[in-house]
Amino acid sequence: MSTQRAGGWASGGALLALPSLAFVLVVAGLPLALLLSFAVSDVGMSRGAIVSWSLTTEHFIAAVGDPLYHAAFARSFTLAASVTVLCLLFGFPIAYLHLRSPGWLRTVILVATIAPLLTSAIVRTYAWIVILGRQRGLLNQALLGLGLIDEPLRLINTHWAVLIGMTQIHLPIMVLPLIAVMSRQDPRLEDAALNLGASRLRTLRDVTLPLAVPGIGAGASLVFALSYTTFVVPQLLGGGNYLNAATMIYEQMIFALDWSKGAVTAAIMLATCLATVFAITMATRRAMRWSDQARA
Amino acid sequence: MKRGARTSIGDRIGVGLVLALGVLGLAVLVVPSLIVLAVSFDTRAFVSFPPQGFTLRWYAALADNAQLVRAIVNSLWSGLVVMVLCILLGVPAALASGRGRFRWRGAVPVIVLLPHAVPGVVLGVAVLFAGSAVGLRPSLALQSFAVTAFILAVLVRTVLARLERLDPALEEAAANLGAGRARAFRDITLPLLLPAILAGAAFTFIEGFDNISIAIFTHGMRNPPLPVELLGIVQTETTPLVAAISGVQILLSTLLVAIVAATIGLRHVSD
Repeated sequence: MSTQRAGGWASGGALLALPSLAFVLVVAGLPLALLLSFAVSDVGMSRGAIVSWSLTTEHFIAAVGDPLYHAAFARSFTLAASVTVLCLLFGFPIAYLHLRSPGWLRTVILVATIAPLLTSAIVRTYAWIVILGRQRGLLNQALLGLGLIDEPLRLINTHWAVLIGMTQIHLPIMVLPLIAVMSRQDPRLEDAALNLGASRLRTLRDVTLPLAVPGIGAGASLVFALSYTTFVVPQLLGGGNYLNAATMIYEQMIFALDWSKGAVTAAIMLATCLATVFAITMATRRAMRWSDQARA
Repeated sequence: MKRGARTSIGDRIGVGLVLALGVLGLAVLVVPSLIVLAVSFDTRAFVSFPPQGFTLRWYAALADNAQLVRAIVNSLWSGLVVMVLCILLGVPAALASGRGRFRWRGAVPVIVLLPHAVPGVVLGVAVLFAGSAVGLRPSLALQSFAVTAFILAVLVRTVLARLERLDPALEEAAANLGAGRARAFRDITLPLLLPAILAGAAFTFIEGFDNISIAIFTHGMRNPPLPVELLGIVQTETTPLVAAISGVQILLSTLLVAIVAATIGLRHVSD
């Protein structure tokens, strides 16, 4: 930057990008390459240090054929897909509410959406332990108090608890891209549809929703990727025996200290996660083209 | 607001349903935090609802808990290191991509974005492997470096988005008037970029402070950050102590967002 030339920085500014590129290569690129090679290796470990390493597809093939793996990944996938759909079901209405609100209310909605993102996921999951807890949980106490049930229900340590907690925790991540995309829409398009006699509902369905497709795609990719890979919520709300891909890695790496297996699971998670996000992106593009054609 | 000619009852119900879902969604976002806040002031030594009495003893217990205080200090360090590294690496990268004149400048944000597309758990495991391959044990430093690689993309994207909306003519005018590139950057570009840098920095700090998916695999055994400590405490502690920790975080984050909303505006964050 110190070299002053008429045309700009030295080497056209490329040097400015070098530190970050080198950093990303060393701290993320090489480690990920190593992870992939570990997935097709046998790694011998002693006290956190690697003592032996030989290439073999043994662990990888064993994992691919293991019904436990199938169950764990299938559960992660179903969970992430359900969370994504639920986040969309609540997220789009929140963004629509934001769109149709006066300025002050828009700020309130934004604060309510962003503030949880700055709070630790563990803290937000803890709220659900307080609500869904077995003995003194708020929901059980309320139901018992109202005389609707005689025995406390088993709410926590179930698949439903994980689903509810994860939906709430990832909701802001769906809402923010939707708000960003929908606030950029030209409000005159909606007005035009209304003035031409389209009902509010039809305007919502035929104008607002199709224009929000890029936001839906972005939000869905983010929510899916996070729900598919986080272990915090399943660990805290699913109970000790809850097994999915993320808790499996956690288990293998932290407790079993089996790095070969951990590498295999992480590699499969990476590949399936990226493939699904890619599929969502492609579907979004197709939907955008389709809605463009429908309008033309 | 003009009403369409064909506003029917079904139409009103439909739109009403969408708006009701929005209100319900907002309630689901906010209410759990309020419940935890209420519990954190409970006088009893167990978590129950509705809370009884009002006390600050759990907040006091929090300050007295040496283990937690140390974890908070560790997390503050991690947040600080991540933030400073992201600014030092990310602002130049955004400038190179937005103002550079070299052929592959479009590739810069894409490459920087790659680690962010990798699940945190996977990146954490990868960095743990790489660290031990070169003899680096898990530590606060290793954890901070890994989280930096992960979150750098957010700062670069925020700054680059702002840079692309700036008129390059402003800097050129300054340079033409004899300010020189460096001075034009310092006096024109940097002040205009500052809101975006601050917003990006805030997010990278929070990620450094709060990250669990990477930190769980890369943190130092003797100095765990707050989220790692919390993960254990939440599963064992039954007193409202955890609610008090939550209360502090909820109040701080709401305050932070409110300050950003009142000063530089939330647009920088939500875009």
